[in-house]
Amino acid sequence: MSLFKPAGTLWLLAHEIRLAWRGFRSGRAGKGPGALIGLAILFGFACLGGVMIALGVHDHDIPVNPLSVAIAGLVSLVVLTLMLSQTLSASAEALYERGDLDLLFSSPLEPRRVLLVRALGIAASVALLFLVFVTPLLLPSVLYGHPAWAGLFGVLIALALIATALGLFLAMALFALIGPRRTRTVAQVLAAIVGAAFFLASQYRNLMGEAASESLFASIARSAYDGRLVLPPVAGLPLRAMLGEPLPLLGLLAFGAGLFWLAANALGRRFSDAAAAAQGSSTRRARGVTKPVAAFAAGAFRATVRKELRLIGRDAALLSQVLLRVLYLIPLALVLARSASKVEAAALAGGAGIVAFMAGQVAGSLAWITLSAEDTPDLLAVSPTPASVLWRAKLVAALIPVAIMLAGPVLALAWFQPLTGVLTAIGAGLSAYCCAQINVWHQKPGKRADFRRRRGASWFSALAELLVAALISGATGLAVAGLPVWALLPLIVAGALVMALRRTDDQIARTLRMAG
Amino acid sequence: MSPQVAWGTRPLTEALIVRGLNKTFAKPAVSDLDLTVHAGELYALLGPNGAGKTTTLRMVAGLTKPDAGEISVFGIDARQDPAGAKGLIAWAPDEAMIYDRLTPLEYLEFVAGLWSVDPAVARTRAEALLAQLGLADEARRRCEGFSRGMKQKVALAGALIHDPKLLILDEPLTGLDAAAARLVKDMLQARVEAGCTVILTTHILEVAERMADRIGIIAGGRLLAEGRLDELRAKAGDGAGTLEDVFLQLTAEGAPA
Repeated sequence: MSLFKPAGTLWLLAHEIRLAWRGFRSGRAGKGPGALIGLAILFGFACLGGVMIALGVHDHDIPVNPLSVAIAGLVSLVVLTLMLSQTLSASAEALYERGDLDLLFSSPLEPRRVLLVRALGIAASVALLFLVFVTPLLLPSVLYGHPAWAGLFGVLIALALIATALGLFLAMALFALIGPRRTRTVAQVLAAIVGAAFFLASQYRNLMGEAASESLFASIARSAYDGRLVLPPVAGLPLRAMLGEPLPLLGLLAFGAGLFWLAANALGRRFSDAAAAAQGSSTRRARGVTKPVAAFAAGAFRATVRKELRLIGRDAALLSQVLLRVLYLIPLALVLARSASKVEAAALAGGAGIVAFMAGQVAGSLAWITLSAEDTPDLLAVSPTPASVLWRAKLVAALIPVAIMLAGPVLALAWFQPLTGVLTAIGAGLSAYCCAQINVWHQKPGKRADFRRRRGASWFSALAELLVAALISGATGLAVAGLPVWALLPLIVAGALVMALRRTDDQIARTLRMAG
Repeated sequence: MSPQVAWGTRPLTEALIVRGLNKTFAKPAVSDLDLTVHAGELYALLGPNGAGKTTTLRMVAGLTKPDAGEISVFGIDARQDPAGAKGLIAWAPDEAMIYDRLTPLEYLEFVAGLWSVDPAVARTRAEALLAQLGLADEARRRCEGFSRGMKQKVALAGALIHDPKLLILDEPLTGLDAAAARLVKDMLQARVEAGCTVILTTHILEVAERMADRIGIIAGGRLLAEGRLDELRAKAGDGAGTLEDVFLQLTAEGAPA
């Protein structure tokens, strides 16, 4: 810290890095080396893949032609979109996460400097995420024959800077347009839609059915081979930059840095004003005070279900995650409905299996939030209601959104193929119930704020859920494919696994006491 | 060794009887603590920071398991029948136990549900409590934008929604402005006059001096003295005029050498 001039940008950046590092270390404290070893193994496999690629492409160069230009452009656009979904969400969150923002804004520091450092943090985290994936795959090729391909690292950094600038502009525009209360929710939902946009685009054949005769990639490739693909000169910029041509690479980096600088400078003052306005503004405006009070829920079970559903409905980050999964389900649901109308057995079986799997995963996530992320565990502990009643209420609250989410696809399926509809509903219901129940048995209490992206989750529970959901989805698929006897095998294994994971109420209470 | 208490033979004029209570974390937090709170009185539990006040009250509320000792709430053995005891108790810590994303009305609906209060009764009580605490206009706003004082008031309404017989408050006046503090003090007095038993901890000794029927002074996990203010003065000896004098003198005497 003392290396830099106090209150300067670098000084502030060093402060943020120190906080981030300490946060990482405290997050790792007591977790043991298991996760790190797992990551190292994954990294090793990725490096091996990278070496294979390097050996394969050692004597090859990538030609700059319309097809490769189009592919590189498309890939860049996909990466930019995925990055934007993260930076938009992070930019909106930066307005609400108080942290040390009040301290910084009450100091003589310029607001634009604070925003610049926060934005650098967002850009760095997004760039790092992609670099971690790309580096082991690309580095061997860079070291063995294609040093110029290191340009791809620069392209990723430029894209992260562009995505951060766009995310900031979008978040601030939302703030100005719809106000502080809705910005957070809309930004999260928008981020989910943006993140899924290319998946949906890639699935447009499934969405459009017969209307679309070929995939997007096939269409581009055919146009390129036919010589009909005419691209403007600027379209070649990403590919040339990736291949290490100095001017395109520097141009792209300069463009990214310029846009980033513009966003950080232009929005600095607005950011501090918006952050101040965001504090406490997300409260619902008081409706007429004379409006009669709605009937209260009777009993602890109903009151808890109602409370949990309210909290789920008001958690923007959680909603966006569920929405993302719903978006991924849409093409699948259409495939299912189309296959059901024509009885394409394999597509139907696969689709039904995936629906069951998704049901388990969503139910597991929601149950994990309702059970482990309790804001006031002491309030529940001092009440005379038995903990088991509360756990069951929370489990039901987690299953209700899943039932609503799946009702449409399953009913549509049942319309064309009643038996398939029933089997899918049973499979999805069983998968959802088992995955949610695992979270009852293996609770891991924590703060709700830490629960975004399943931080702090029990790896054991997550793995168990994954296995159980996969087994039940397999059984569902086999049953739908007309192989009920074969379906029994994964079902029995799933049952055995669930029984092995089962805990009595006393055992759960004892574990929770020890954790507390 | 603390004497065993035959709970069944105790008259129900005692709201809380604690005998031989012990709790050790890294070091002993509460040691052989005996405490008696009469029904219908306001009892102030005082002590320096780290004296064991909150740990004691958490054990009474059923939040922390004692290593040893006995707790009776209106004749119910809290360790044998925790649900029975909890049904009579309300616990309000210094950090308000509320949900930021719920409105005060929704919060009270949930708390009433936990104590199985009849929904119609709970609804009427919720409206009355919020009006009494000056929160009627905020009843349908989410708590996330509330000040600390407003959150404390919502939590207090939650503690009162099931009409507890024993109300345990840990630093109830923290974060409240003068008007709100007066409001809360008046509400507590009114509850006591209506027959409710209140135990509170506070660092504001004037509050204990003015409000409490009896005062317990705890330090190092042990009860140093207990009684009315004049009894404590007598125990502290000459020169002890105000509760502050008594408190400082007794805690200095009781402090480990």
